[in-house]
Amino acid sequence: MCDALTLSSAASKPQKIARPERRQARAGMALFAPALILLVVILIFPVTVAALLSFTDYTLGRPGISWVGLRNYVDIFSGSSYRKMIVATVLYVLIVVPVSVFLGLGAALLIRSLKVGQSFYKTVYFLPVMASLLAMAIVWEFALHPTLGIVNRTLAMGCGTPVEWWSWFAHGCTEGFPLWLGDRDYALYTLAFIGIWQSFGFNMVLYLAGLTSVPSDLYGAASMDGVKRGWERFRLVTWPMLGPTTVFVVTITTIRSFQVFDTVEALTHGGPAKSTYVMIYAIYQKGIAQNLVGLGAALTVLFLALVMLINVAQRRFIERKVHYQ
Amino acid sequence: MTHRFSARQTLAHLLLILGAVIVLLPFYVMISTSFKSPAEIATGTGGVFGSQALFTDQSCTNLGGTEADCLVRPVIDNYSQAFTKAPLWRYLLNGVIVTASIFALQTLIAVPAAYALAKLKFWGRDAALGLVLFCLLIPVHAIALPIYLMLAKLGLTNSYAALIAPWVVSAFGIFLMRQFFMTVPDDLIDAASMDGMGEFAIIWRVMLPTAIPALLAFAIFSVVAHWNDYFWPRIVITGDRSLFTPPLGLREFKGDLGGDFYGPMMATATIIAVPLVVAFLLAQRRFIDGITLSGMK
Repeated sequence: MCDALTLSSAASKPQKIARPERRQARAGMALFAPALILLVVILIFPVTVAALLSFTDYTLGRPGISWVGLRNYVDIFSGSSYRKMIVATVLYVLIVVPVSVFLGLGAALLIRSLKVGQSFYKTVYFLPVMASLLAMAIVWEFALHPTLGIVNRTLAMGCGTPVEWWSWFAHGCTEGFPLWLGDRDYALYTLAFIGIWQSFGFNMVLYLAGLTSVPSDLYGAASMDGVKRGWERFRLVTWPMLGPTTVFVVTITTIRSFQVFDTVEALTHGGPAKSTYVMIYAIYQKGIAQNLVGLGAALTVLFLALVMLINVAQRRFIERKVHYQ
Repeated sequence: MTHRFSARQTLAHLLLILGAVIVLLPFYVMISTSFKSPAEIATGTGGVFGSQALFTDQSCTNLGGTEADCLVRPVIDNYSQAFTKAPLWRYLLNGVIVTASIFALQTLIAVPAAYALAKLKFWGRDAALGLVLFCLLIPVHAIALPIYLMLAKLGLTNSYAALIAPWVVSAFGIFLMRQFFMTVPDDLIDAASMDGMGEFAIIWRVMLPTAIPALLAFAIFSVVAHWNDYFWPRIVITGDRSLFTPPLGLREFKGDLGGDFYGPMMATATIIAVPLVVAFLLAQRRFIDGITLSGMK
């Protein structure tokens, strides 16, 4: 009805109408249709399926399926291995996010202050973002090999030198340096280190972009107001102006840290003693490898809820920050 | 031009060099190890590129070869073993097939949809854009399990389709191209339309050529993500080696590894990592823009 009206009014106008609205409407729907169908089939429908399956005991290959209510969720929050999963995941995120964001910001500030060599460092620090994480994880595993690896070999060269006043180091010299990935006290931190190594160059690039958008006359104004020292300048001008960048960097680093999988699957399998049993690995192991689909689906729903929560938090934050610009 | 010595600059360089050493360490280990003989790897000798002294390949003598036949250069032995111990060419080819198909299909789906969202008025357009923005928030890890179940029900696991199908629609690609198309003046489209071009011709012959920078950035984003992806192939490819992508192939190499295989394994890792790293070094700015594009949303 509406269409016919606008069409007739368009036709009655004297000027040339290149693209009548009805043709636009038809073409628009037709052109968007494939994307629409695929978005629904590939994204919306699976999310719904996961939500439904999380209330069942479904397993692949068995015909029966029955509702179990909230049992999968209760299992997750009461089982000890799931408590370990939550601890490992949260700890990993709490280490990787602040360190990776801080290093990204630090590298960006240092690089911006250089007179020569800016692009060299930028290239070097961005390399890990490009390289296959799985391949580099396997290389790190070799570098951290207790006997063959370059890390422990280099550390051993420090034995007998003054570095031994550090009691941790002296202990390593007499008892052997850590197994890193094979030691439950070190495994998660080692994975977090690899995660930071891989991700901070990405944050650096985002901060470099953020820094170029800080208007330089702000620094002039600040110096007229007596703000001369580097730290004060940073605290009063740079850091507030980087607010939106920081919100984004923290959000994306957090979401990506929650998704850590490659290093865990290839290097530790969630061990030793479940110390690196992170969420996505748990989804893979329960839902797919062990075919406990209901549990895997419940974990998936929790994971999705977490990601959505972070996104909402980001939006709130941005809305509050927006009047800075 | 000379720079005055500045303590501050020197300190900044020192810190950044220290960081660079740590960042480059695994790359050094990877390439250096791929050049060394098993003995050098076991003892940690051989410097950067190994001594390259000939050594006797154990597996060759086990097969009845004479000492003289089995003398090999470490670097040649490592890289040839990378290709003979596993069908590495096949893995690389699979990687190319999968990443290229994904990108081609993503473009085919996203460009018309983006054009419709940016330039055509149709019923439900705002809702459609809302749907795209909502889908941007759904991480792939959240749909992995249900999609795996769907593929398993259809009997499609262990196939190229399983590797490619879940990625053919990219909400990010649609959004990115839409943002770009918004900046194209309407007059250009009206003129093309009055020349008698249909919507399809307008999309592929008028709109797309103007959007080459955006498309290139998206291509880099997509290719890097899927060449390096390990999570999804790990889930849907179980056992059929002829479908392995490069990361899966490397993972398998590690799986059946004895102590002597570090050389060939590092050679494999080098071969897998090198194409993207070289491409990155050649076109740094484009790569950095492409990868950090996700910063635009």
